[in-house]
Amino acid sequence: MILALLLFLLAARGQSPEALQHMQAGAEAEKNRHFEAAIAEFRKLTELEPTAPAGFVSLGQAYLENHDYGGAVPPLKQALKLDPDSVPAHRLLGYALLAQGRSTEAIPHLEKAQDSAALGIAQLESGQLQEAVTNLQAALAKHPNDPDLLYYFGRASGLLSKQSIDTLLATYPDSARAHQAMAENYYVLRQMPQAEKEFQQAIEQRPEMPKLHLELGLVYAGTSQWAKAEEAFRTETKLQPGNAEAAYRLGHALLQQGRIPEARDELGRADKLQPEMPETLYSLGKAASLSGDNTSAEKAWLKVVEIEKESDLAAQAHFALAALYRKQGKTENAEQEMAKFKQLQHTPATSEVPQK
Amino acid sequence: MDRIGLRFCSGLLAMASVVASSTPIFEVAQPRGLDFTHQNSPTPQKYLIETMGGGVALLDYNNDGLLDIFLVNSGKLTSPMQTPENFGRHEPLYWNRLFRQNRDGSFTDVTAAAGLSNAGDGNYGMGVAVGDYDNDGYADLYVTSYGKNILYHNNGDGTFTDVTAKAGVAGGGWSVSAGFFDYDNDGKLDLFVTRYMDWDLKHSKTCGGEWHTYCPPEEFPATTNILYHNNGDGTFTDVSPQSGIAAKKGRALGVAFADYDEDGFTDIFVANDGMQQYLFRNNGNGTFTERGLEAGAALSEDGRRLSGMGVVFQDYDNDGKPDVIVTELPREIYGVYRNEGGGSFSYRSLETGLGMLSSGSSGWGVGLEDFDNDGWKDLFVAQGHVLDNVEQIDPSLRYREMPLFAMNQHGRFEKADASVSLPLVARGAAFGDLNNDGWQDVVMTVLGGRPQVFLNRGGKQHWLTVNLRGTRSNRDGLGARVRVNGQTRVATTAGSYLSASDKRVHFGLGTAETAKVEILWPSGIRQILNDVHADQILEIREPERP
Repeated sequence: MILALLLFLLAARGQSPEALQHMQAGAEAEKNRHFEAAIAEFRKLTELEPTAPAGFVSLGQAYLENHDYGGAVPPLKQALKLDPDSVPAHRLLGYALLAQGRSTEAIPHLEKAQDSAALGIAQLESGQLQEAVTNLQAALAKHPNDPDLLYYFGRASGLLSKQSIDTLLATYPDSARAHQAMAENYYVLRQMPQAEKEFQQAIEQRPEMPKLHLELGLVYAGTSQWAKAEEAFRTETKLQPGNAEAAYRLGHALLQQGRIPEARDELGRADKLQPEMPETLYSLGKAASLSGDNTSAEKAWLKVVEIEKESDLAAQAHFALAALYRKQGKTENAEQEMAKFKQLQHTPATSEVPQK
Repeated sequence: MDRIGLRFCSGLLAMASVVASSTPIFEVAQPRGLDFTHQNSPTPQKYLIETMGGGVALLDYNNDGLLDIFLVNSGKLTSPMQTPENFGRHEPLYWNRLFRQNRDGSFTDVTAAAGLSNAGDGNYGMGVAVGDYDNDGYADLYVTSYGKNILYHNNGDGTFTDVTAKAGVAGGGWSVSAGFFDYDNDGKLDLFVTRYMDWDLKHSKTCGGEWHTYCPPEEFPATTNILYHNNGDGTFTDVSPQSGIAAKKGRALGVAFADYDEDGFTDIFVANDGMQQYLFRNNGNGTFTERGLEAGAALSEDGRRLSGMGVVFQDYDNDGKPDVIVTELPREIYGVYRNEGGGSFSYRSLETGLGMLSSGSSGWGVGLEDFDNDGWKDLFVAQGHVLDNVEQIDPSLRYREMPLFAMNQHGRFEKADASVSLPLVARGAAFGDLNNDGWQDVVMTVLGGRPQVFLNRGGKQHWLTVNLRGTRSNRDGLGARVRVNGQTRVATTAGSYLSASDKRVHFGLGTAETAKVEILWPSGIRQILNDVHADQILEIREPERP
């Protein structure tokens, strides 16, 4: 693009055949990834045509491609002196500065180039997290599966979240939300006693705040303290009777304690609140099976494998169906389900000795 | 009595029942003379064998009617170990120990006199199996190790002879639990030896990064178990390849035997660590087929692999069919596989309440014994984590744990007081009636510590203990199915972890003062005894003819 523009400009201005020769040689060298040769050719071009901004843009680009980011800056700045509105020059200068860690300087150039991806990265690097999240989100909308963009967006969002939490902790260190935030951090780090303590402090201040009891229940569930988990989930279901997750968690905690009829009731309620949630359906199948209601168990697990095709949960449902069919004497069905289960297992659970 | 009075009275009764049930069944004793401390010699190298040892056997080696105790020691480890590997087993500190029980309940260390003092400097001790492999009426010992295993023949005069070389059962690698059973019903006890993994000191490593922990089993290659066929002349043949046992590699820690499909041939359940469990179905022709997955006894209810360690293969729900209970690591709940008949099992950990009782624990030695003689087999599990620094890694877990003691209430397990005041790092557990009072006792080993003896305080319920004497079947009657007043037990010394239990078959009779005893001997002979008086140890001799 820059090359075509350069050719057009030079031809239009009726420049010397020598300049055109260097321009073509530089382009050829660049194409062949001989960047140092390209730099030499474009430099001669800029000496022959010192008022043409396109020559400096090409020189800057060649430096960039040669990973000489410092070398790229002077010709690109010269290009902008000659043409302050040159979008390619702004973009390339923005890249060159960003690559050198000079993100703050890069930002105005990238803004002029309207390059939301690079701009978002520059803003992330310079700590402008809110703006970075906005621009990276815009870039992701255009390229949704770009792994680099996903990485930077995740990083920016995480840092923004951390920044907010840090502000919260600094400003209101004893607030319920501060204790909740601390508890969530401890939970992620699997420091359960600390997580439990922080959640309890949060609950003490705002016992009716949604999700607190649910999260405390998860701490107990994570350490297999099912009776305490049940109590916490039950409180959450009272606070939020329409919360399907709370109902599911309560049902699961009851199931773990072997309280099958109660578990079944609660899981059924969760299923009504949010139908077709695979986790609920899987547990509902378990509760039904343990109650001896094989028809309902089969129905729930078949629904799971209909919704989830290749997940771990699908594998579990196939395994459960195999056990159910085996119990019913449906050997062929059991074998089919077991084959599907084995197919979905990521690594074999057994170790065969190779047959000679 | 008016209504209020009745209500008051029933309240008192309920309170009395609570008080009665809160009295611990066991008294933790330190019998005089039982002077043993397990030596595992932990090192900064975190050699895996350090955290796995501690076998125990209850056997009457001198046929005086009293159970004696054999304790497997591990050995000396240096940091790092030099080659050739020398575990210092010739030093008395590292000997295995045999303690003879005296009439007054005390014990005498008879290790040296019995010829059991030096288990070989190249062998780091693990477990023990007990069985009368030559049918001479005296219990023989098989001791497993990292290194070579040893078969000690009981000479019948209070001494043992190392007959490993002649018998051809040294094994090799890292052997763990083992057990005697008669897989071909020829009247001679065969031997099954589990092996953990393809691991040696030279290829040891640590895991967990900065936590510097013992490595999980997946870090090392799986290996095969060994099946030895008893030739009847004091020698055994390794039949692992031709029997199909060696066709499956695993990471075995526990083994138990029972005829789960009632075809007259004893099957094998192997507890594997970090993978599926193996159920080797005896085909009745000298071969086995692994049927764990197909039978529904290989994985958890959710199809997840398990860290199987200890195992018991007995009937917990009194339906006459042997069930399986496997002990595991925390977050995995102990597996209860109920035998549904027709060769299949269903997973019952949640319904039985065991899921709730085990989700935060690491279980090893395990037994199903009727500790309160109410006619239902209760559960005892030796517990303690593998990693000595697990509390730093996950503060919600504990390295030292109380053993799990749970009463069986018609098929549902409810936690009871095991009478231990301090948590321990337990490993092996053997079960039997140490003082012949009709109430089952437990000996539990502690990693790097002293064994714990749980003496049953007893009560008013009736009981019956059957001492089988095989004639056509193996002399110990191992593999016999014994039914007493609707309860069933498989006669075995195997199961648990690294341990061997009393070969006698114990039943709680509740309030019944007589019993109907039905025995299906491995020979196929059925024997029925009616109106047997309760509260006795009864020797039953197998009829010579059907």
